[in-house]
Amino acid sequence: MVYTFLGGLTSAVYNEVLQFFLIVLGLSPLVIVALHDAGGWENIKAQLQPEYTHAWKYMGHADTNPMGLHFMSLIFGLGFAMSFGYWCTDFLVVQRAMIAKNMNAAQRTPIVAALPKMLMPLIVVLPGVIAIALMTPALQSKGYSIPVNEAGGTDYTMTLPSLIAHYYPSGLLGVGITALIASFMSGMAGNVTAFNSVFTYDIYQSYFVRNKSDRHYLIVGKMITVAGILFSIGTAYIARSFNNINDFLQLVFSFVNGPLFATFLLGMFWKRTTGHGAFCGLLAGTLAAAITHGLTIAEGKGGWIAPLYEIRSGLGQAFIVAGVSWTANFIVTIIVSLATKPKSEDELKGLVYSLTKIQKGPKKRWYLDPVVLSILLLVATVLLNIIFF
Amino acid sequence: MLKRLNELNFVIGLFFTIVSLILLADTLLNKEGMGKLNLYTGITFLIFGVFMIFLKTDKSAD
Repeated sequence: MVYTFLGGLTSAVYNEVLQFFLIVLGLSPLVIVALHDAGGWENIKAQLQPEYTHAWKYMGHADTNPMGLHFMSLIFGLGFAMSFGYWCTDFLVVQRAMIAKNMNAAQRTPIVAALPKMLMPLIVVLPGVIAIALMTPALQSKGYSIPVNEAGGTDYTMTLPSLIAHYYPSGLLGVGITALIASFMSGMAGNVTAFNSVFTYDIYQSYFVRNKSDRHYLIVGKMITVAGILFSIGTAYIARSFNNINDFLQLVFSFVNGPLFATFLLGMFWKRTTGHGAFCGLLAGTLAAAITHGLTIAEGKGGWIAPLYEIRSGLGQAFIVAGVSWTANFIVTIIVSLATKPKSEDELKGLVYSLTKIQKGPKKRWYLDPVVLSILLLVATVLLNIIFF
Repeated sequence: MLKRLNELNFVIGLFFTIVSLILLADTLLNKEGMGKLNLYTGITFLIFGVFMIFLKTDKSAD
């Protein structure tokens, strides 16, 4: 809170870079040691049910995979609505591109960020898979088990901390715990600075108090930073009622990022989109998300209207909510936009792609060219999907 | 030296070098037990830290 309060976005971004290296280098030894202890990847695959170690192979039917999803729901809900929603509209991500030193650096921001993001499952997902394998009868002799929560159920949120405590000796244990805390801090600081900017510039300055000094808005921004941190502490208590933090996070994303992506998509590429259309679309998308959550039930969550449809996992439920909310927003925005008066093309210059002059800088070296980097990333994505098919 | 504290790669390098020295010191002082993981991680951190300290960022890249 102190460094975000005093240094704002700059200190948050500088710390994020340091924290990134700390998280990767602090948790990598855990993966290596735990993987070795569990007998390597082949042994883990042999111990677990096959659907745990394949991305697509068992997605043909909702009954054949632990998420309880058909592959189309996964592609549309996660791959399209939520992933594009997070990567293209989440202000935490967009803000990093906005502070880039030039257009080329801004274009490279999401592409460069995608590379470590692609490899992040190695230190985030793989330890979870190893933990489950270590609890199978064949590997129980290793003496590891995921902790149990107050209700007597498996506390999946504690998987990574318990693996660190199990495998790290004193010395490295401190590095591991610091890496974990760094990951929490980095996420919170980034989100709080994004919340602070959006509230101060886009809401407070635009609609409530205009034409004040920079100092005034700076003070408001600092106050919002403190409020944002207190708010995030409050949400931690809500997250406790979920099976794991990821389920809660994905549900929040499905309510917020899913509909928002449809608004951004239409607003950026369709010049006929109107403000009324966008507002009604967002309202309809969020409402559709709430109704879908109220009519479906997963792991005891949702179904508060009527539990008509049961989904096997909270994650699967979030993907379906995201898909429905995106579709509702997309359709309602188009209908309302067609029924309302559009803005003139002059007003939309710089906002809509087809009306904006594309900037072309000097010819870049191949490794700085966003197109070349994107193609390389796409190839890597396809290869990873083939390997873990 | 103080001027370089404004360079992020130097700060990161310095941080990892200090942590690596702590881990390596722990390995030397506690020869019994599970020191190997500290030793290997300490060496990796040291290599990374020194690399980051001496890394020159190309400011004319664009």
